Amino acid sequence: MTANDPNTRQNPHDLPPTGESAAKGPAAAGKKIAWVREPELGMAGRSYLMLFLQGLRTTLRHLLSRKTTVQSPEQRHVVPDPLIYRGVHRLNRDAQGRVKCVACFLCATACPAHCIDIVPAESPWPDRQKYPQSFTIDELRCIFCGMCEEACPVQAIELTSLYDLSGKSREEMVFDKAKLLSVFDQTKDAEPMTKGTGTFFGLPVSNEGTPGPAEK
Amino acid sequence: MATIYIDNQPYVVKDGQNLLRACLSLGFNLPYFCWHPAMNSVGACRQCAVKQFKDEKDTKGRIVMACMTLAADGTRISIDDPEVRRFRAGVIEFLMVNHPHDCPVCDEGGECHLQDMTVMTGHNYRRFRFRKRTHRNQELGPLVNHEMNRCIACYRCLRFYRDYAGGRDFDVFQWHNYVYFGRQSDGVLENEFSGNLVEVCPTGVFTDKTLKGHYTRKWDLQTAPSICVHCGLGCNTIPGERYGILRRIRNRYHREVNGYFLCDRGRYGYEFVNSPRRIRQPIFRSERSGAAQPVEKQAALEQAAKILGSGERVIGIGSSRASLEANFALRTLVGADRFYRGLAEAECRLLDTAIALLRDGPAPAASMSDAAQSDAVLVLGEDLTNTAPMLAYSVRQSTLQREIGLTKRLHVSWWDDAAIRQALQERRGPLYIATPAATKLDDVATEVYRAAPDDLVRFAQALAHALGAEIPPVSALPRKLAALADVVAEALYLARRPVVVCGTSSGSESLLRAAGNVAWALSAAEHRGQLCLVLPDCNSFGLGLLGGGSLADACRAIQEGKAETVVVLENDLSRHADQAALKLLDEVRHLVALDYLEHATTAAAELVFPAATFAEANGTLVNNEGRAQRSYQVFVPQGKTQASWRWLQEMMVAVGRQAEASWRSFDEITAALAEALPIFAAVKDIAPPEGFRMAGQRVPRQPHRYSGRTAMHAQADVHEPTPLADPDSPLSFSMEGSQRQPPPPLVPRFWAPGWNSMQAITRFQEEVNGPLRGGDSGRRLIEPQPDAAIRYFSDLPAEFEPRPDEWLLVPVDHIFGSEELSALSPGIAQLTPAPYLALSASDAAGANIQEGEKVVLAMDGLHQALPVRFLPSLPRGVAGLPVGLPGMMHVTLPGWAKLSKVTAS
Ligand code: SF4
Ligand code: SF4
Ligand code: SF4
Ligand code: SF4
Ligand code: FES
Repeated sequence: MTANDPNTRQNPHDLPPTGESAAKGPAAAGKKIAWVREPELGMAGRSYLMLFLQGLRTTLRHLLSRKTTVQSPEQRHVVPDPLIYRGVHRLNRDAQGRVKCVACFLCATACPAHCIDIVPAESPWPDRQKYPQSFTIDELRCIFCGMCEEACPVQAIELTSLYDLSGKSREEMVFDKAKLLSVFDQTKDAEPMTKGTGTFFGLPVSNEGTPGPAEK
Repeated sequence: MATIYIDNQPYVVKDGQNLLRACLSLGFNLPYFCWHPAMNSVGACRQCAVKQFKDEKDTKGRIVMACMTLAADGTRISIDDPEVRRFRAGVIEFLMVNHPHDCPVCDEGGECHLQDMTVMTGHNYRRFRFRKRTHRNQELGPLVNHEMNRCIACYRCLRFYRDYAGGRDFDVFQWHNYVYFGRQSDGVLENEFSGNLVEVCPTGVFTDKTLKGHYTRKWDLQTAPSICVHCGLGCNTIPGERYGILRRIRNRYHREVNGYFLCDRGRYGYEFVNSPRRIRQPIFRSERSGAAQPVEKQAALEQAAKILGSGERVIGIGSSRASLEANFALRTLVGADRFYRGLAEAECRLLDTAIALLRDGPAPAASMSDAAQSDAVLVLGEDLTNTAPMLAYSVRQSTLQREIGLTKRLHVSWWDDAAIRQALQERRGPLYIATPAATKLDDVATEVYRAAPDDLVRFAQALAHALGAEIPPVSALPRKLAALADVVAEALYLARRPVVVCGTSSGSESLLRAAGNVAWALSAAEHRGQLCLVLPDCNSFGLGLLGGGSLADACRAIQEGKAETVVVLENDLSRHADQAALKLLDEVRHLVALDYLEHATTAAAELVFPAATFAEANGTLVNNEGRAQRSYQVFVPQGKTQASWRWLQEMMVAVGRQAEASWRSFDEITAALAEALPIFAAVKDIAPPEGFRMAGQRVPRQPHRYSGRTAMHAQADVHEPTPLADPDSPLSFSMEGSQRQPPPPLVPRFWAPGWNSMQAITRFQEEVNGPLRGGDSGRRLIEPQPDAAIRYFSDLPAEFEPRPDEWLLVPVDHIFGSEELSALSPGIAQLTPAPYLALSASDAAGANIQEGEKVVLAMDGLHQALPVRFLPSLPRGVAGLPVGLPGMMHVTLPGWAKLSKVTAS
């Protein structure tokens, strides 16, 4: 885990110390640092023979196995499990057809390609504070890692099994909120939203809304 | 020094502090909630538990609260002991029982101390699956949002609001699981420091309401170190921007200046930057009263070149809210003898007097931290809460100093906040306030004196005489007053660090000089008397040092035909000039203005250049103690906006004077300033130059987690723009750059691994409450003259005599409204009072005026109908006029005025 995990943390001076004050800090104690040496390569390792044979075996295996190449676009590739496939994003709607996203920025922050941009606004509905006024994904920059889906606390963003993503211009591939919601409308029947099996901070999360304290 | 052992390693720490503070200073991650570096310990949350051992043979140990345990020599503790780690995780788990766990929708998320501490303790799985208690939230006004369900009952808010900031309308209610922190009923928080609750509260109970309107997480904000522009104190701030909109201001710790806090004017006054009244394009009017036409930059500069011509008969009017560099550029454009300061004659005189007092006398200027540590304070003529809010906060803290000293014999540690307050009860150290009307500090004052300005001078002179100043005694002082003067003199004389606070807001030059007498007399008596002088604007001091005539002098030059073109820099002249002067300026042949907001002067100008605000340009500002501080550009402004000094430089190039304006970057203009005026020699050294790099890299304005970088402009252009270059500072407009801690003047935000909230500050300080690593930033431009012969001011005004048919108008300042820029921010505007006239009830009754009734005020150059408001504390014959409120005209106060009732027409 990170430097603040009490189980692994060794150096409370997480930033490179500056000035002399740091010298008396625990960094100076330098405890628990273990130096690891690379293991020596033996004769077999140095000759590369084993590795060569291993490579040959892989090639042979593929020569003899069933062909998986699909003659796209004449033939369509069938996604074995659409629910775990990572294709085009969709923004899910709740039971009333409203965008489920609560504009928490977790997907945008998790995104390693920095390609999600959210502008929040105060929500017009009483059951949440914010909603995305605009929600933009640059699908061309997306690397389809699924981190956004993973980060979302309310299952509002999901990757569908639509893989044949193409467009005539780069602009076309910048998906806005309307387009992302329309992907949901297209795919919701074939790929229902993840059912309420997930947990959020240890609490079961249902699809019908986030759990919250009952009003007093 | 004491040696303590933490997990069997020896560390040397300062004597007398508690273990929590020592551990944090050493850089350990020890969780805490109720402790705050500015508010010390109460031991309420049980989060900072450590295991203490008797000696090296003790293996069992016992759990103690680090914040309540003295770090005595030889103390042995363990932070990592499994039992104490479980204890801390358990404490968090209990706190979390009723916590809503709604981080994703919580405005605190990502900079939440509770989040950080939860991760730090390792409590990461919630076992509680029952109904949570819920609270009703309160509507606390336009600045602070309330979301009570997130409270963990650490009591920090209450302690800050009541014990430190002196608020009365906030309390704790109910009991047990239901404790509730808020007001008795919905309503605007009355205290002027309420915005600090946002930073003090370790959870998302209190959050910025103005931020909510354009919410952005901390890691998505582009930030840079900046200086508050809303009064003369120069508090250090961190403004944050995204999508070209300034989104919020946070405190930037400075040990000597603002410490950990800001006032609400400084925190929420920023929204003028986003105002629809911003000027974003050069404007040209072919006829002075004609319609404004936006023009291109080049056309505007050509026009300027035509107007400025050979440079003869051009005068420049500077501004006390513009940076040193901008004023210097104007001064270079027009020439030193044709540079005027843009202040009324009286304002100039007051400013010069204040600076002279600090420069020529033996008493050093007191910083805010000096004021807070003073053990006897005298306030003369200033309503600090409204003219220099954070100084009022400091002075309030000072009232504990002497008494804390006295509690030593009770063997109470100075950091044991609850015990100290218990021991002190209502006892407060000497604070004497002499002002025309009541102030919000009166509740902690030892004694207050209400009088007209002239009587305040007499009182101060009597005091100075009692302290040994070589001035004639004040004759015919009422006996009670003479006795008070003796008492105050004694208190100041006995104090170790007495501070005299005065300022320009009373409008009385004599009062300033009398205050100087008191401080000098104390200094002469070998008591370090310090002088703290309040100035009105963020760069008043700098402008004062730059010199130049007043607006009246500028008018004289126009009248004498010495000026036919006037260039006005970031100044709404209607705030400093009377009607006659404004008319004269209106009639001048060419009027060129540079500013960021539309106002009377830009509306009358022939040519207007869009200037950058504090958040859009670098600048050096000199605060009221004479400390020059650098403020950095936070973001690149929209449209053609650029720094005033750049416009002025381009104008000089346009008229063919390249040689004189060879500065192309900020460093070059500060160097030119330092060379031209030796008093500003230090200005170029107060921050690292543009070429400064850390491991070859710049300091990034954007945090390393800044999101959406490749998509935020995609709707406009799919190509990701190249990060903008910054020729003026070592900061970059991107997330790339060094992640090391930059030197203090360049710290763009407080963040450290595991410390996402403002509490990361301890990772940036050399020790808790010490300077930032690398020393205090900013540099004082003037030093006192300890050995110079003191020339006391010996004038004595006559005793104030109420007049039968006239009233002496004294200025009344308002924290919300009296300052020009913050008053344009919607949140502050909601709290700004409408113009009024203040009378004491008995005076009003004598003149047969009811509260709320409109009266016509007639004085030299002013004729205005205003509703009457009662201000009970005003002395007889004195009326109060709020200054600077939108809709109020400029008058020089104090001054005599006639009042007449509005006859029903
Ligand atoms: S993580 Fe989910 S809820 Fe949060 S902003 Fe992204 S889509 Fe919206
Ligand atoms: S207060 Fe902190 S821990 Fe609680 S919901 Fe908000 S961000 Fe999360
Ligand atoms: S409101 Fe915040 S500061 Fe106040 S007791 Fe609750 S958690 Fe602490
Ligand atoms: S006290 Fe003055 S400088 Fe400080 S935050 Fe308030 S307005 Fe700004
Ligand atoms: S911080 Fe020590 S008990 Fe709260």
